[in-house]
Amino acid sequence: MIETICTYSGRDDLLIAYLYDDIEPGDRAAFSAHLHGCGRCTRELAALRGVRSTLSSWAPPEPARALASQTPPAFEPVIRIEPPAARRTWHDVPGWAQVAAAVLVLGVSAAIANVEVRHDAAGWTLRTGWARTDARSAASPAPATPPTAAPSPAPWKADLAALEQDLRAELRSAPARAVPAASPVSDAELQRRVRAIIEESERRQERELALRVAEVVKDVNAQRQADLVKIDRSLGFIQSSTYGEQMKQRELVNYLLKVSQKQ
Amino acid sequence: MLGSNRAEKVSAPQMTWSDEELVARSIGGDQESFNQLVLRWERPIYALAYRVIGREEDARDVCQETFLRAFRALNGFRGQAKFSSWLYRIALNLCRDWVRKERRTPVIQAPEELEVLEMAAVREPTPSVEDLVARRELTRVVERAMARLPEEQRTAIILKEYHELTFQEIADLVGCPLSTVKTRLYQGLSVLRRELAKSES
Repeated sequence: MIETICTYSGRDDLLIAYLYDDIEPGDRAAFSAHLHGCGRCTRELAALRGVRSTLSSWAPPEPARALASQTPPAFEPVIRIEPPAARRTWHDVPGWAQVAAAVLVLGVSAAIANVEVRHDAAGWTLRTGWARTDARSAASPAPATPPTAAPSPAPWKADLAALEQDLRAELRSAPARAVPAASPVSDAELQRRVRAIIEESERRQERELALRVAEVVKDVNAQRQADLVKIDRSLGFIQSSTYGEQMKQRELVNYLLKVSQKQ
Repeated sequence: MLGSNRAEKVSAPQMTWSDEELVARSIGGDQESFNQLVLRWERPIYALAYRVIGREEDARDVCQETFLRAFRALNGFRGQAKFSSWLYRIALNLCRDWVRKERRTPVIQAPEELEVLEMAAVREPTPSVEDLVARRELTRVVERAMARLPEEQRTAIILKEYHELTFQEIADLVGCPLSTVKTRLYQGLSVLRRELAKSES
């Protein structure tokens, strides 16, 4: 078939602009009029519309992480930017305050570890821990002081005990607050939801199975066809090679017969 | 706001704030506003990356990196362009880097059966098995044909066909004249027409 050539000025660009309807009204009217008399442009436009229609079937797979949370109310973005507030405030703290905080932490740590630095005739001595103090206090008799005052607990120990009590009380109260918030749905409603989920899952599995079966049948048929073609070709090849061999044998026999007759 | 894919549009939740308002709030320190932007644009960006790259895992990484870069550079966003254009540009640059780094054409990765079923379940309540098989075949054919296109033509078709950008928006995004965009689209579609006809026969 001989295809006519279209010489419309800027034809390809206009065809695309017309196809996507992203065109100036004047150009659109002019090209529309041209289409009435140009078979080539009309056919190409129809073909490109067909391509667009095929392209519309291409959807990317759902991102696996978002599949579970597709329903709008529970939808969570795949990427969630966590507020970097802590990091930013830390950077905002002036240097002197950071140094002061470091010194404070060091001091508290030293107090907890009961660091003791001593310099005597033997040189520098660094000791940590509480066991030594307790042992010494246990070894040395303390008749003047009552037993309760003997360990002389540091003032922060009382604070630590109070803090511990507070934390325990908070921990005890936490589950009590969480329980009523966790079960606002009735059992019947819960059962209904679970049943719906199970039914949906079963339906999906059935369809998946049917799809796979259909694909297997299709694959088997395609493979069978391919195998039949291959077998046919192989048989043809064997047949032709056997025939060639047979002819050679016959020629050889004829030649031998001729030779034997001459002799 | 730039147009997003028809499929993505359906699932995109309705938001009260415009992109630009959310950007302004994010710059002001409201992290939740940026999460709203992510929620709004992650699917179009993922779809763009998937269609350019052709690999789900990498498309997801590109999508994530796009938003991380946007978040880091948010203070520098002055609003000369639309937020969506800015985001598309970041994503396209990342896709281009990926293609160049990997030194290969997009990978053809047929979606798994379950994913096809999931997609079908969203659009059609009861598609037949034959329909699903046919659709899957068609998806494979389109992916294969798209993978044969040069990067510029493929990008132009993806932006026009699936994200419904105007010719001018595509030209601004990829940094080429308007007529070049149309030429790339014409050439790309013509190649696809031949490839699809070949696979039909």
